[in-house]
Amino acid sequence: MSELLHFAEHTLQEVALIIMACVYTVRVFWLLRFKAGKERQPATGAADTTPRKGILYSWANIVMPWGMESTRTKPLMYIQFVIFHVGVTTAIIMSFVIPYLPKLMESNGVVLFFQITTGAAFIIAVLRIIRRVSGPVLRAISTPDDYFSLILLTAWFAFAFLAAPNNSAAGETNLLVYFFLTAFFLIYVPFSKISHYLYYPFTRYYFGKSMGFRGVYPIRRG
Amino acid sequence: MGKAWDSVAFIPYAEDNLDYLPGTQASFTENSMSKERSHKATKVLERLSKKLNRQVVGSLVACVHCGMCTDSCHYVQTNPDDPTYAPAYKADRLRKIFKKHHDWTGRVIPWWVGAKSVWTDEDLEELKDIAFGKCTNCRRCSINCPMGVDFATFNRMTRGLLVSVGVMPEGVSVVSKDQWEIGNQMGVLKEDYVDTLEWMAEELQGELEDDSDMIPIDKMDAEVVYSINPREAKYDPRTIADAAKIFHFAGENWTMPSEGWDMTNFGLFSGDDDLGGAVAKRLFDKVIELRGKKLVISECGHGYRSTRCEGPNWAGMDIPFEMESSVDTMLRYVKEGRIKVDKSRNKTPVTFHDSCNNARSCGLFEEPRELLNLVCENFTEMYPNRAENYCCTGGGGAMSMSEYTPRRLKSGKVKADQLKATKTEIVVTSCHNCVDGLNDVIRHYKLGMEVTQLVNLVANALVIPAKIIPVSIPDEVLVLAGKKILVVDDEPDILTFFSTVFEDNGATVFTATDGDEAIKLAMAEKPDLVTLDISMPGKDGGKVFEELRTNAETSTVKVCIITGRPELRKLIYDRKVQPPEGYLDKPVDEDTLMLNVRKVLELA
Repeated sequence: MSELLHFAEHTLQEVALIIMACVYTVRVFWLLRFKAGKERQPATGAADTTPRKGILYSWANIVMPWGMESTRTKPLMYIQFVIFHVGVTTAIIMSFVIPYLPKLMESNGVVLFFQITTGAAFIIAVLRIIRRVSGPVLRAISTPDDYFSLILLTAWFAFAFLAAPNNSAAGETNLLVYFFLTAFFLIYVPFSKISHYLYYPFTRYYFGKSMGFRGVYPIRRG
Repeated sequence: MGKAWDSVAFIPYAEDNLDYLPGTQASFTENSMSKERSHKATKVLERLSKKLNRQVVGSLVACVHCGMCTDSCHYVQTNPDDPTYAPAYKADRLRKIFKKHHDWTGRVIPWWVGAKSVWTDEDLEELKDIAFGKCTNCRRCSINCPMGVDFATFNRMTRGLLVSVGVMPEGVSVVSKDQWEIGNQMGVLKEDYVDTLEWMAEELQGELEDDSDMIPIDKMDAEVVYSINPREAKYDPRTIADAAKIFHFAGENWTMPSEGWDMTNFGLFSGDDDLGGAVAKRLFDKVIELRGKKLVISECGHGYRSTRCEGPNWAGMDIPFEMESSVDTMLRYVKEGRIKVDKSRNKTPVTFHDSCNNARSCGLFEEPRELLNLVCENFTEMYPNRAENYCCTGGGGAMSMSEYTPRRLKSGKVKADQLKATKTEIVVTSCHNCVDGLNDVIRHYKLGMEVTQLVNLVANALVIPAKIIPVSIPDEVLVLAGKKILVVDDEPDILTFFSTVFEDNGATVFTATDGDEAIKLAMAEKPDLVTLDISMPGKDGGKVFEELRTNAETSTVKVCIITGRPELRKLIYDRKVQPPEGYLDKPVDEDTLMLNVRKVLELA
């Protein structure tokens, strides 16, 4: 392993992680600086609905495609969402496994797992680019950050797929690109739309709390 | 946040030349360097800083532009080729401004994240078109957003920002003014309101042959203080009479306040929290003054939400009495056996439309169904329903914004399809806005359905104790017999409709399609009543009205204004002559028309 690859797998990642943690902390404090709106009125809706249930339902929405019409009626979109985010998760995990648990990567099964998840995510990411470019609504609402983030993630999935065998002896390019991209993401993410996962718990918490308090969540259909 | 804003105020146009959007860049370059931000734009930005709370900021920063909300909007479904109706697109109009002034990436590299400030009054007009004209704040996109972005909440905030600098549709301005100054959103004067209650009480006394006080006004220490929508007093007093009948047979100790009785709140629609707080406080204070135990809110989606849910927040009050929807009250009466109902009296198949405010913002959706099943024989669900139902198209104050009526009716196709699929004849709803919105949709799409409310169905199903024998008025009584009515309107359909209704009730009818002809006929025939449209070619209704009032021969002729453009009301009411005896908004149905004409002509 070259010094550059060692630097990319360790020092670079650690520095990037520290930067990300600092920026995220600042971001969370920034959000918390805004006063939370408070509800004065007594609860409405069915007696068995509560803010707590509303919050849990709201958070769990992500794993309940039947919970929202938008996901219930578009199962393929939901499957794409799952594959894409599983790909992100495994690509992140791989960035820790390779430098800190390299023996795991000697298993063909583990490599195959990382390749299947990141490879599938790559395909979905390409589909998402096509959808964003070809759909009039998505085109109208997209910013350069939206395109850049998606294209970069697509490239990251591709290099994660290629780097999964973790065979530096056969060439370090794929591993280098993968780790440099990972580090770039760690620093870039807090400033981009990809930071949405940081806000997700907050937005869904407050929305779920309000909807639970008012008896709307959990959603009932008849 | 105030400090953050101070640093961006009065920055010349050049700052926004970085905006990446094609088109806007050119326009900014043309105007750059010399101009400063308009006063209104400055105030909007100042106010934005003060209005932001954690929930709204979360919604502003969390959107990932995934587009999952798109198809949930009835405007999108009926305008599939126009991306400007997409909730995310609409939300981005405020999000851009927020990013430009409050988000770090937006401040440093605005073009990268689509951040853009607001500079001119024209920018505010564009924002108005989106916030008021392309969204009814129905909140359907909010419950379909995977991220929990509550667009409807910050669209209401956008409206509030615009209203704070006077940028709003004329109708919103007129209605808000009425609610601020007169105390209710339809400008019903106290004497007219009390007169209507007394009229309904007398009708009930006659119908039930019972001399007891059918509608107690300002009674102290009542168990129930009943608040209504001014639409009931103005256009649909039948609902007040029906509610009174139900309270009477339930043996309720109840009252209606003579003032502070309006449970609607245009602050919900205009986004004006100050108005919202003032209106809610007026009602709360009245209940406290009367020492009422419980405030019952008649069937109205936005009234229920703004009084029961948002009112205490806007007014900053902790409410010392209970509040409930009249749907809950009626359901309790039936369940407790305080009133007896016979569902066989409501045989016609009905469906139920959930008001967005009731269902999606207050969780009131099972109670009306339970009650419907108790008072109707044949209830069919509409799909989707409850919190997933589609807007009637009249929400968010849309009925008062006539400039957007074509858009609204086009978006009504979704609702029309829903209604049609139920194969029912009557749609029941617990909301006055929805009654008007649905009536418009039904008429526009020729569905031939009737809209009614639960209070009407419950009253119809009431089993009246045997000792009280209702007096039935024979159908053949012609209440307008001997009366001369002049109908003035430039729409042939309206002329035919009104003439037929009046003639069927015994009146002699004259018609005029323009102002000059109307004045000539009024002079020649001396009618008992003139029904007068405002918007007409040539001499408009305002001028005709003034001429009628100032001419000695016609000054005492009673006038009822009937217009499809309520924002033009000031053409009538701003004149220095005695106001008209009646006022109605189009569309108007036969019952409402006759009720109001009888009231104007003081006929029993």
